[in-house]
Amino acid sequence: MLGVGHKFPAFSLQATVSLEKGKAFQTISDEDFGDKWKVYFFWPKDFTFVCPTEIAAFGKLNGQFLDRDAQILGGSTDSEFVHHAWRTHHADLKDLPFPMLADVKRELCSALGILDPQEGVAQRATFIVDPHNVIRFVSVNDLSVGRNPQEVLRVLDALQTDELCPCNWQKGEEALKVSI
Amino acid sequence: MELEQLLNHVPEYAKDLKLNLGSVTRQPELTEQQTWGTVVACAIASRNPQLLDSLLAEAARHLNEQAMFAAKAAAAIMGMNNIFYRFRHLSGNEKYASMPARLRMQVIGKHGSDPADFELWCLAVSAVNGCGVCVEAHEKVLRDKGVNEETVLAAVRIAATVHALAAVFDAQPAPAAATV
Repeated sequence: MLGVGHKFPAFSLQATVSLEKGKAFQTISDEDFGDKWKVYFFWPKDFTFVCPTEIAAFGKLNGQFLDRDAQILGGSTDSEFVHHAWRTHHADLKDLPFPMLADVKRELCSALGILDPQEGVAQRATFIVDPHNVIRFVSVNDLSVGRNPQEVLRVLDALQTDELCPCNWQKGEEALKVSI
Repeated sequence: MELEQLLNHVPEYAKDLKLNLGSVTRQPELTEQQTWGTVVACAIASRNPQLLDSLLAEAARHLNEQAMFAAKAAAAIMGMNNIFYRFRHLSGNEKYASMPARLRMQVIGKHGSDPADFELWCLAVSAVNGCGVCVEAHEKVLRDKGVNEETVLAAVRIAATVHALAAVFDAQPAPAAATV
């Protein structure tokens, strides 16, 4: 499984982005969000019980993530049509503000190393990826354990509080190189 | 109120400041953007609403949107960092220097304007807010970036003048809505 410091794998996947006719699907790749942070989270199967709760919880915090220049991307090994059907039939998922990736060929999940060996579906993995596409945080829960999106937000905050100001410079140190 | 109109209300005892403002905004050591960005940042840091209004309106004639944003950002972020890092320094307890700031300061890396100009505005605000470590650190970064002492001091002249004028207007506000 890929860990902190690894590059997030390149991908190009179909995604369900809305319920609006003709605008439901979109191809999304790792390069679509420019210099934003990305929060990827995967769940095992659409239409199961634990999933909608935590997906909706991420949805509720979407504005907070956007404030922090972070794009949320959910995903599973289900197809974009299954995602669409799930969203259509589940009140909590109707207005989901972020794309649901359809990793039908399991290439992304395999590259990430999060395919469950028994079930063959995505484990409940979360990745925070920085604007340079480097993984800065990983967590994986067992298939039956839901996540706490507030905790993901807290970690993102912590990752973004680098002391970028030269004021942090200590006597005797090299001058701080502010990355611009 | 137009800047010129406001300056007519500078009392006789502060006439030097009024004349200084005219001259420090025309120093050959500074580019137009450096000059007016410094004015904006220092006007915010100096907190007098009348002076701030007039200077912002005047500065808008000299700055593009990005520079205006960056100058305001410099005032905002240094309003925080000057307090934080000054405390670290003044407390005399070295333990604080090894503890994380845990404060967001992302704008330092993504204000979108010229990095050296942004440093200059941060330095000017640090001079207004009176943080020794920040003055030292930003001055050093500016010199490393090839900005000379003449330019730095020219910006500090602006800081000093704007700050003094703000104090005068605090003590003696211009009569409101003086219709001419």
